[in-house]
Amino acid sequence: MASPLPQVLLDGLFAGGAYALMAAGMALILGVVKVINLSHGAFFTLGAYIAYAVAERGVGSPIAAAPIAAVIAFAFGVFLGKSFVNPVRNHPFALPVGTLACALLFEQAAQIIWGPHPLSIEAGAPWIGPGGLVVRRWGVVAFLSSAALLGGLEWLLSARPGLPLRLIAEDEEIAGSLGMDVEAIRYLTFGGACAMAAAAGALLSPSGAVTPTMGRAPLLLSLVVVIVAGMDSVAAIFLLSIGLGIFGNACAWFLSPQWSYVALLGAVCLLLSIRPAGIVALAGRRD
Amino acid sequence: MRNAAPFRGGWPAAGIGLLLLFPLSCPDAFFLDVFTTGFLLAAFAASWDVVGGVSGQLTLGHALPFGAAAYACALLTSVAGWPLPLAVAAAVLLAAAVGTGIGALSTPLAGPFVALLTLASGEIAHEAAVGNTFFPGPGGYAWGGEGGIPVALPWRDASPFSSYYTALAFLCLASFGMLRFSRSGAGLILRAVAGSPITAQASGVPIARFKRLAFAVGSAFAGAAGAGFALHVGRATATDLSLELSFQAATFAAVGGRGTIVGPVVAALVLHVLFQGLSLPPSARVLLYALTLLVTLRFFPGGVVGTARDLASRLGGKGMRPPRRRGRNRSGEGTP
Repeated sequence: MASPLPQVLLDGLFAGGAYALMAAGMALILGVVKVINLSHGAFFTLGAYIAYAVAERGVGSPIAAAPIAAVIAFAFGVFLGKSFVNPVRNHPFALPVGTLACALLFEQAAQIIWGPHPLSIEAGAPWIGPGGLVVRRWGVVAFLSSAALLGGLEWLLSARPGLPLRLIAEDEEIAGSLGMDVEAIRYLTFGGACAMAAAAGALLSPSGAVTPTMGRAPLLLSLVVVIVAGMDSVAAIFLLSIGLGIFGNACAWFLSPQWSYVALLGAVCLLLSIRPAGIVALAGRRD
Repeated sequence: MRNAAPFRGGWPAAGIGLLLLFPLSCPDAFFLDVFTTGFLLAAFAASWDVVGGVSGQLTLGHALPFGAAAYACALLTSVAGWPLPLAVAAAVLLAAAVGTGIGALSTPLAGPFVALLTLASGEIAHEAAVGNTFFPGPGGYAWGGEGGIPVALPWRDASPFSSYYTALAFLCLASFGMLRFSRSGAGLILRAVAGSPITAQASGVPIARFKRLAFAVGSAFAGAAGAGFALHVGRATATDLSLELSFQAATFAAVGGRGTIVGPVVAALVLHVLFQGLSLPPSARVLLYALTLLVTLRFFPGGVVGTARDLASRLGGKGMRPPRRRGRNRSGEGTP
């Protein structure tokens, strides 16, 4: 058999593209709402379960599942942002514990609804490329649609419609005094970012088992990306996510799947020890 | 101190009296077991409060010292063959050392990053416990993994009465110790550090050392509760290290009122006995805990104790000052 390396690189590239979509959502929440959202992984899981439910009803394509997941997650995200995150966002205890509570709430609800056992989605036959390289269709779809969505986000943020977001990220008081509805923009951004996480979950759902706790590893991956790459450049987030996707895939391939999660956890600990200020922009702006 | 004003007087004594009386009036083994576990969880919740409430270091990995002590107890008695008292003492020391290490790592971090670091370290320990079926036990059974490791107990089939009274005595002693600590000079300094680290530092407090002290003390008590739990159940399992357990401790503290020690104990007892006594499946229980916590955080940021104190001062004679807006001050205590 040929060397597994090209296969590992290719699958990591596909997964990393979708992770970038999720990490960009995390960065958006950090920049505009200025909170760390520990329930981001739960929205990833929600997307995967919606893709499973859609596939059960005969629509096997993640392209169809992703928009449905995004709309549902947007609704939940707006509710969460408006009724919980916005009112308590100045409370340093309530936010991490509360968003973690949301994540656990969803994990347990998913376990009650769909059961604790891993579910899998029929992915369709892959293409076999040169040298026995397996090119999975869902991977191509996930990578291309994530790249397209991120490109759209980049354009949106740099153009006229993204101006309120950039202004709130820089100085929310001025944004408020210019007549912008800061609270509404915050919860809409929160909902939009949750929709991005759910879309990533739906796109990646055929890659492995769908379980209630599957969102924890992508959550940590997004945290690592945001700590290292910051929130300013979508391109940096994209590249770093792909790097981490390949790294996680290599860990899973050469050691065991569990190791990619442990490696990400270790990375979070290490990064926080090296860089105690954490996310510099957040630490600096929160007075 | 002002903080414990509503509990001054005979209330704790009345509660302990009722708990002492309970097994005599209801000798049902199931409820005795629920209460015994509840006592250990209550001590664990109070130990969270030493770290997360009194000194304001928001830890989401408090199951790490709890589970580390439980595993140490199991391994030292079953594999190394140590006598039980020695193993328990070593387990508590190990938990304190683990806590000091986590405290040293998280000292330079601010606010939510302490939560991230403790969460990640707790999850690493949990993964390590789940993923390793290390020691082949006697009779060819593999130990470790989800099933955990048994504790070699010198007694067989402890009676539910003796477990109940031992756990209750442990809870009383541990809460008394933690209350004393939180009201001592060190506890007062820790409250100052929680309120404003910069002010504390400017007043000449070595805040790094006091943060480590809070982690060490809280973790030692968590370790004692963990060792007690391993003795009660007879095994150390991966659940003892789970994120859900850390989260439960934070829930009890938030519902009872952070920084009061007594509040988390009462909240843990009431919630645990309520949810466990109803025989709900575990996932429904965690779901209810999460819901309870979200409602508390959103509508009663001071917890039950804080809200009660607020109400009392508003209704009672002390109602001269205007009602305070919730969640305003920096320490995160809505109602100090």
